Amino acid sequence: MIWQFDLILLTLVVIFALISLRVKDLMGASIVFGAYSFLMCLIWAGMGAVDVAFTEAAVGAGVSTVFMIATIYNTGRMIKPRPQDMSFKLLMMLVVVITGAFLLTAVNDFPEWGDPYSPVNDHVAAYYLTHSMSDTAVPNVVTSVLADYRSFDTMFETAVVFVALIGIYGIIRRRRKQDDSDSDTDALPPYDPSESLIIRQASRMMVPFMQIFALYVVAHGHHSPGGGFQGGVILGASLILYSMSYNLPTLFKKMTEKWIILLSAIGVLIFSGVGVICMMLGSNFLDYSVLSQILPATDSVMARSHAMLIVEIGVAFTVMCAMVGIYTSLASNGRFDKGL
Amino acid sequence: MLQELIASYNYIIVVVIMMIGLWAMLAKQNLIKKCIGMAIFQTGIILFYISMGAKKGSTLPILEHAHDGAHHAVVAAHYANPLTQILMLTAIVVGVATLGVALTLAQKVYQQNRSYHEDKILEKLSK
Repeated sequence: MIWQFDLILLTLVVIFALISLRVKDLMGASIVFGAYSFLMCLIWAGMGAVDVAFTEAAVGAGVSTVFMIATIYNTGRMIKPRPQDMSFKLLMMLVVVITGAFLLTAVNDFPEWGDPYSPVNDHVAAYYLTHSMSDTAVPNVVTSVLADYRSFDTMFETAVVFVALIGIYGIIRRRRKQDDSDSDTDALPPYDPSESLIIRQASRMMVPFMQIFALYVVAHGHHSPGGGFQGGVILGASLILYSMSYNLPTLFKKMTEKWIILLSAIGVLIFSGVGVICMMLGSNFLDYSVLSQILPATDSVMARSHAMLIVEIGVAFTVMCAMVGIYTSLASNGRFDKGL
Repeated sequence: MLQELIASYNYIIVVVIMMIGLWAMLAKQNLIKKCIGMAIFQTGIILFYISMGAKKGSTLPILEHAHDGAHHAVVAAHYANPLTQILMLTAIVVGVATLGVALTLAQKVYQQNRSYHEDKILEKLSK
């Protein structure tokens, strides 16, 4: 980590955050927010957190910007200036400044930045680093902690993503031909993809390569940055790109709504199913080492390595479907017939 | 003085980013801006965790290994902390799912009130 870079990037991040809150055009604000996320991901990559940076580049700079634009597309884009209550703003400013001052007094009590022997870096984190290779034969320690040592955490995070998808369908999904009367007055004009031949052809060539890259990211997560979350997001992004450059019905011809829900449920089922199989073989939930009894030609160490791959595939299914499902409901305003 | 500032610059920026997010969530009256504020607050916390897990002169948490399965002796201080990283990795993905829920709710509110503006929504609700 070069501290000069760190200094510049951290300052830029603050400026970008302020700009994205300042801009009156919501479309501009979400694009600036994407740039903010990308700068953030550079900072994290500089501090050695490549997996986190990878996820943020795919999620923060990619998919969440698309979600915001899909929301704005169906509603208003410009903020109309309104008279503001200044006393309310001043009060909020006071609350924020006091909270910030309290937090800043705690800064001096933190261990020095980059101290390898600080409490955070010492106990269990050091164990993971020194034992990952002999316990699980996985050199990327992030993957082995994610999918093995702390798999309960990951399983329930996957379940949270699934529940969020179900919640979004519950909130916004409308039956067709129910209330088509409420055409949104200040929405953007309907998007006609036939105008954009270049975009269509370009994305038609990009989508298969994105999907192959995503599969590589999922499968090679043991040895390089990557894994189920990143691969799933990239798979979802490739489908989102496909639906943006053509239109929603074209996507639903390839992948119906039913499959989106079903696959996301199957992902959680794969993860928890591996845990249940471990229990049936006479061990604890998600203790993969007993799987050597049923996986051919593996010892208890390699069984953990292989089980991690199975679990990551489950995560990728759920995350991909959640991204596609959230995008399609936001872009079509819950009607799933036409949209961005 | 400069040395001290550099040493704690990460933590100061974490506090600044978190306060920007908090301010947006409290004082901004547009629902989309509130969602952006929420996301900014979240990245502040992630930056905090990653800063704690960083080690001076360390490399990525991917261990050196040979193809024949021979293990090098691993010194934990040479690799960045994997634990804080995985906690934040899952937090990012859950964060985008919750952002999706927040945006969906905002869109639903817009459908019924024709505005993202808090005051306007309150006016409509009180009618």
